[in-house]
Formats: sequence, C-alpha cells, structure tokens
Amino acid sequence: MAFEKTLTQNVGNPDALTVAGYKKNGGYTALEAALKMEPDAITQAVKDSGLRGRGGAGFPAGMKWSFIPKIDKPKYLVCNADESEPGTFKDRLLMEYDPHQLIEGCAICCRAVGANTTYIYIRGEYTKAARILEDAIREAYQAGILGDSVMGSGWKLDMYVHMGAGAYICGEETGMLESLEGKRGQPRVKPPFPAVVGAFGCPTVINNVETLCNVPHILNRGAAWFKGIGTDERNTGPKLYAVSGHVERPGTYELPLGITFDELLEVCGGMYKGGTLKAFIPGGASAPILKASESHLKMDFDTLAKAGSMLGSAAVIVMDETTCMVRAASRLAKFFAHESCGQCTPCREGTNWMEIILHRIEAGHGHPNDADLLYSVSKNVGGNSLCALGDAAIGPVRSLVEKFRDEIEQHIREHACPVPVRRYFAAAA
Amino acid sequence: MPKVTINDRTVEVEPGTNLVEAAAKVGVQVPHYCYHPRLSVVGQCRMCMVEVEMNGRKMPKLQAGCSTPVADGMVVRTDTPEVHEAQKGMMEFLLINHPLDCPICDQAGECGLQDYSFKHGVAYSRFEFEDKRTYPGRERIPLGANVLLNMNRCIQCTRCVRFTQEIAGTSEIGFFNRGSHAEIGVFPGRELSNPLATCVVDVCPVGALTSTRFRFAERVFNLDKKPSICAGCDAGCNITIEHRRGKIRRYKPRTNPEVNDYWMCDDGRASWEKYRDRPRLTSPRVKDRATTWKEALDAVYQRVRSRSAEGATAILGSGQLTTEEAYLFAQLADQIGTPHRSVAVDPFPERRIPNLHGGVFGREAAPNRRGAEMAGLAARPGAFTADEFLNGDAASRCATLVVTDGDFGAAAWDDAAVARLRQASCLIVFSWADSPLAQAADIALPIATHAEKDGSFVNSQRRVQRFRAAFPAPGQVRGGVEVLSDLLARFDPAWAGLSPAAVFDRFAGQTPGLAGLTFGSLPPTGAALADTQAAGAEG
Repeated sequence: MAFEKTLTQNVGNPDALTVAGYKKNGGYTALEAALKMEPDAITQAVKDSGLRGRGGAGFPAGMKWSFIPKIDKPKYLVCNADESEPGTFKDRLLMEYDPHQLIEGCAICCRAVGANTTYIYIRGEYTKAARILEDAIREAYQAGILGDSVMGSGWKLDMYVHMGAGAYICGEETGMLESLEGKRGQPRVKPPFPAVVGAFGCPTVINNVETLCNVPHILNRGAAWFKGIGTDERNTGPKLYAVSGHVERPGTYELPLGITFDELLEVCGGMYKGGTLKAFIPGGASAPILKASESHLKMDFDTLAKAGSMLGSAAVIVMDETTCMVRAASRLAKFFAHESCGQCTPCREGTNWMEIILHRIEAGHGHPNDADLLYSVSKNVGGNSLCALGDAAIGPVRSLVEKFRDEIEQHIREHACPVPVRRYFAAAA
Repeated sequence: MPKVTINDRTVEVEPGTNLVEAAAKVGVQVPHYCYHPRLSVVGQCRMCMVEVEMNGRKMPKLQAGCSTPVADGMVVRTDTPEVHEAQKGMMEFLLINHPLDCPICDQAGECGLQDYSFKHGVAYSRFEFEDKRTYPGRERIPLGANVLLNMNRCIQCTRCVRFTQEIAGTSEIGFFNRGSHAEIGVFPGRELSNPLATCVVDVCPVGALTSTRFRFAERVFNLDKKPSICAGCDAGCNITIEHRRGKIRRYKPRTNPEVNDYWMCDDGRASWEKYRDRPRLTSPRVKDRATTWKEALDAVYQRVRSRSAEGATAILGSGQLTTEEAYLFAQLADQIGTPHRSVAVDPFPERRIPNLHGGVFGREAAPNRRGAEMAGLAARPGAFTADEFLNGDAASRCATLVVTDGDFGAAAWDDAAVARLRQASCLIVFSWADSPLAQAADIALPIATHAEKDGSFVNSQRRVQRFRAAFPAPGQVRGGVEVLSDLLARFDPAWAGLSPAAVFDRFAGQTPGLAGLTFGSLPPTGAALADTQAAGAEG
C-alpha cells in the first residue's frame, strides 16, 4: 500500500512558510474552491469524508459544524492549538512547518459555518509556532487571503493568534473559551454547548489543529480519497502519530489511521536498543495503558475504545521492560493533579489523593489495600467530574490497577521498587 | 409544561427548571453545596448527581441535577446504588482535606458537611495515612469588617464568589490558584465591605466564612429561632430572630421572594445590638419612682383626660410602633380629642436589598412609618408636626406630650432633643429603653421591643407583614397593645383585653384596601396594599 503523505507534505520545505511557496504545492486552491461552494456543501463534504476530531474525543468534525445554528449572531471558530498533554507533539509540527495549511483549513471552516473570526488558541510554550503562525497570518493578510475580502470574494475573515499561559485545562474546549474571554481558565458547565453558546456568548466551533489541516485536502482530493485511507467507514484519513519513549526513532509520523501498533513500532525503528515492549499508551497521558500483548491492535478510534483505551491525540508512549509502571502512572497522576483547575470536587480532591497514594507505593511505603483504594478513588472521580479532565486522570491509574496489579503488590510487599535500575543509566555509569 | 418523573412521582414544572428544584417539588431532597437558587449554576460540588433516563434510555453517566434542565418524559432516580455511591464518594472527597474541627467551629449544627455526612456519607475515613492539605496562616483572614475566612474549612463551592459578582455586584471575592491548592480570597487591595457582605456567611454551606459579629457567641444548636421582621429600616426584610432564653444572638434573613429574597444588609443584622447594649426600662415609673402598672396608667388617664389651660395635648408617634399600637394611639388621640399627632422618623442612608423584582429599598431608620400613618397617626393640617417637636419649640406649647416610643431614634439619646421635648408641662414616654428621654419623663412606661410582641409593619413597598413575639418580655414590661388597651378601657370598657390580632382585624375592617384581611390570615409573604389607596395615605 503506497501511502502518500499529505498533512506533512511540506515538512522540510522551508518555502512553505511563505504564501508563494505554499501555493506552489497546490496551496489555497481548496479555499478558492470553497469560496465558490455553498457553505452547506462544504460541511457535507467534510461529513462525507468521515473526518473525526483529531484532538482526542474523535467527534465527527462535519457533524460539529452542522450544529452551528443559522442565526443572526456573530459566529466564531476557535482552533485548539493548546497541545499540552504529555507525549503529544503533532500539532506543533503542523504549525511550525506548514502554517498556511492551518490558515486555509480555518478559513474553509469559517466559510462553512458562517464565521468571520478565527482565534487560534496556542499553547503558551509554543513561542516558535506562534511566531511562525503570526508571520504567516500577516503575510496572508497582505496577500489578500485574509481580511475584508478573502481572495477577492468580498467575504470578510479575521484571524488572531491567542497565546495561552500554560494551563492544560485550557485545552478543554470550554476552559479555552473562558481563557480566551480573559477569565480564569476553567471549564463551563454543559449544556449549553459551545455550538450554541460559545465564545462571547455566540455560536462557536472548536476544532483541533490537525482536524482543520485535513480540511483543505478533503476539498482538493475529495471525500472518497479520504475515505480510502483508514480502517473502515468510521475511522478514515491520514493520522499523525507522535511516538515517544523507548523506540529507536521517536517523532511524529504521518500514517494511515488504523495501522497496528506493531507496524507503527516498525516504522519507528523498533524498540530502543532491542528492548522488550512492556506496555504502551496509545493516545496521550489520559489514555489507559495497554500491555505488550495488545500490540496487535489497530490504532484507530473504535478498536482502541473497544480495548478499553482510546486513540486520543494519538500520542504513543512506548515503554520497555525497564519501566516501573507504578512510577510511570505516578508521574502521570502528578501531571493531572497539578493541572486540575480545582473547581469540581472529585477532580480537585481525587487527582491529588491518587497522586499521594501512587507516590507512596512507588516510594515503598504502600499499604496492603492501596491497590483497592486507588481503584475505588478512581471510580469516584470517573464519570462524576465536571469536565473530561477527571476522566482523563483516571485512565492511567485504573489501567495500572487492572493490568499491573502484581507490580503494585510487589512494591507494597517488598517496600521497594522491583524494576531493575535502568539499563542505559547502568551502562553509562 | 414538561412532565418529569422523580423517584416514581410525576410532576409538571416550568420549562428550564433544573432537577434539584423539580425534585424539591415532589419532596425529594437532592443534596447540593454549590447550587443556590439565586446564583448562577456552576455544577462544581458534584453532590447532586442523579440518574437520568430519557426516552427509555439511561444516560451512561450520572448527571448533575443542578445543571440538567427538565425535559418532557424524563425519568429521574435519586435512590439508586450508583447515586448513593457517587454521593458517598463526593462526601469522602470533601472531607479528606477538611479539618473536622466541628467542636470549635461556629457552623457546627447548621453545617452542610455535617448534615450530608449523616445522610449520605460514611462513618470512617480511608484518608488515614496522608497529611491533610492546610493553608497555613489562612485560618482567620478578615475579608472585611464583618466576615472571617478559614480557608482550611472551605470546600471551594464558590457561592461567595458568585454572590459578590451576581447579587452584590461588587466582585470583591475571587477564586485563586489551581487544583487542590485552589482557594478563596479577596482581590489584592480590596475588602469585603459591601452593605450585604455578611450574606456570604449565609450562603457558605460550611464554616469557612463566619460572621465576626456572631463568632463564638453561641452554639447554633442552642438557639431558638423565631420568624420576624427586621426593624432596622423600612425595607422590611424577613428575618429569623435567633435567641437563647431571650438574649438575641443574631438575625438571619428569612426567604421572602417578594421582599428581601434570601438577603439582608449588615446594618439590619446589627440592629438588635441596641437591645443588648442599651439600658432597659423594666418597670413603670411616675416622677422617678417605680410603681405598678395600675397606678401608672391611672396617672396617665388623669393627665390626658383633663383638658388643661396650659396648652394642648399631643401624641408624638414613631415609625417603631406596630400598626396596631399606632391604631390604638390614634384612638387615644380621638378620645382626648386632640389633632396633634405625628410620626417621627430618622433619615437613613438608602439601601437596596436585591430581589427578583429589582429590589426593595430602605430609606428610613424605622420599619413602620407608613403603617403608623395609615392607622391614624398621620399629621393633620395645622397641627404640630414631628419636626416641630424635635427641632422646634412645639413641646413648650403642650400641656401633655405623649411620646409613644422612647427609642424612635437618635432624639431619645440626644440631650438637646430631650431638653426640647421636656419643655412640655407633662411628658409621658412609652419606651423599651431607659433612655435619657425616658429618664426625663414624668411618667415612663416600659413596653416590649419588636422581638417581644406581636404586630405588623408596612414596609417601603406598602406590604403588610406580620410578626410574632420571639420570646416573652422581661420584668414588668408589657406589649404596647396590652398597655393601650388597659388605658383606653378607662375611657370605655369596650376596649378592655384587646390582643394585637383583634386590633389588626378591627383596623383592617375600617381601612379600605385592607378589607378581608385578618391577622391570622395574612399570607406568610405579607400582603401588598393597593397603589390607589397608597397615594392617599402616603400624602
């Protein structure tokens, strides 16, 4: 199967940072076409392609667009570039190497839903990406691609880059809106959903960077092309996999959605220094951990959901036999406890408590029933929190108890970490 | 209207009602901390989780009752094992970092954490080996003059934050930091000094915010709580008088959506303190000699019955009188046949207590000028006005001056004003306080405070509101109506033995606009008087 890279076709091509260079590779033709299409036809094309949100939840993008009510109110597109989950670094690549692809995707989306303003909410630490995007947007304004008359159509579109201030919770869509409005970044209670009451009280579409980057290609090459890639009807298109951990060549890889983990590992050059796969996280810090025995699974939305994990942002963290799973989960729990916004009870108290328990187990001070306690606490957090952060926080913890219970119990029994000192450190010493 | 079934009981509610309110309609209590009917819904405490079934399909997760609006055909359960499990879980989360210092906490006895622990929590802790999160140095932070914050007890429900933003409109309090370090505080350079500040103590479901005024004054479970009306101004806030054996400890607002809603002002909360701080008149006194009621009233009767050549007989009323007392004073004036009657009221900085209809205003330092004037004490053309008594020399032209409430305001405590009133040949004072005015009087009669008697007030919205005695009056002190009824019986035995209720009924029967009302049948939220008649009486 010959797979042609599309999203990352311009990576490594510095010309693509300019409008002219981007156009040389067929850039902005999709926007030109979109300007001549009925807005609903654009949405329909995206619906037909089966494009699902690449940010984590996997919600069908076309469906999300169609929820925007056709009312006489300003509408907004907010592009979620607050990529801050541990292990996730795919959007950064798209923004740093091909900013015009994102601008074009945003413009097409705005055209489809009738928005005249795009906010690109970018993670505060992504200063380089923000600078590149701002330069690109400035050039696009000068080239008449953005502004009062987009490509001479008379249709107005403004685009702004808004930098976050370092909170993971602002990647949650309503938390992002609050932050964008200048308030404390904490999720809102839903309903109402952002499609109805979003930024500044107006209908708002919120899409991930990668999702929007797919849109120009869908218009250029057609929904059928997009559907031709992937596992099945519901899992289509190219996907960026951000691979980190114990592999030979970590990095971001564009591959058809639904390749198996084994195939992905092969693309990345196999396990680091020939180690043995112990576990992997298929979709970023919030995805439940999978065991080595599950490496045959297809890395798509539905297969992983059925296996009790999730594709999430497709940030794959690979762990070999030198990894202490308790330590790994403890580190992830610490992240979520630190990033909880603190407004709802289960997440504020539960993530903190889980971190404390995991930390003491790892330090060799665990108590005999800590595994059960951990599981029970995670159960009380899951499903009861205000936003998805609570559910995300229990992913690694629950899967740890479910799949690596003996490792926890060994920690507690032996009052120490049973995993050997890391090979590489030992070798270096 | 949507029909919703809650624990097998079906109820029809307004569209947009949330499940907490809908459940309350059928008598099902859904526990909650952050939800408050007048504050925006944030869904933070996660105590109100309920099971929702729609079109025969159960929702995969429990839903927060406060943020879920009803939909037609919704089936809600609050009694399933999953719901109880979630409630237990939330209680555990709320308590793991709570100091559990109930024995020294002012809130103990009216604490949301205590109540729901008994109902929905467990009796043991699984948080045995960890240190509780504390906020060193943040145990008694004064947010303003009247409110103290103990951050260790806070459960981060943000009701206080939303109160200052949405009700008071002053936004002094904010939510700072993140995760398990999230805390409440006033913004730098600000202090919680709005007129409604102490309401944050009421909305706080736990002991994090306490009132400096009430702090350590009494255990709340020792308090007797009696519904009443605040006498601080003419807004007529509905309150609960909380006292122990006749010693008032605090006023709390009592919900009346038509008047003060859930709120009251800090000045109102402090308005009982004069009863504690000022000397009390406990027995009738004639010429500085304590005497019996019979003797004292005989003396009054002798004095007012005889028309004197020295000048007129006048009745100087007060906005502190109940409508019933004012009515009997007006009857007394009629018996004597004097036109000189008036109602004295001190000015008061304007305040607004917010409610759903824009708010109720207080502009006078007494609760019932309107009622007293309606009852017949309104000044008549050509007769002495209250101002002429308090700031002029009207008293010197009176043979007998009856001051009907010896604490109608600053004048009773002001030597110059007392001297002016003393110029009357005979000064008769009805008073609860042993004020300079009562001490200057020829005859001083101890009457009950508004906490000790039944009666009604007419507030600035022209709403008649009833209240009853919270506790009996001390010593020989008697209610104004009883005293006046005794006095009037000396003119005509038909007046004997009247109760405030009987006086109100008689007054209502004679007053257009009050027809059909009786003291017993006044609605608990009060009765609004018609506007047409308002204009006449207001004049």
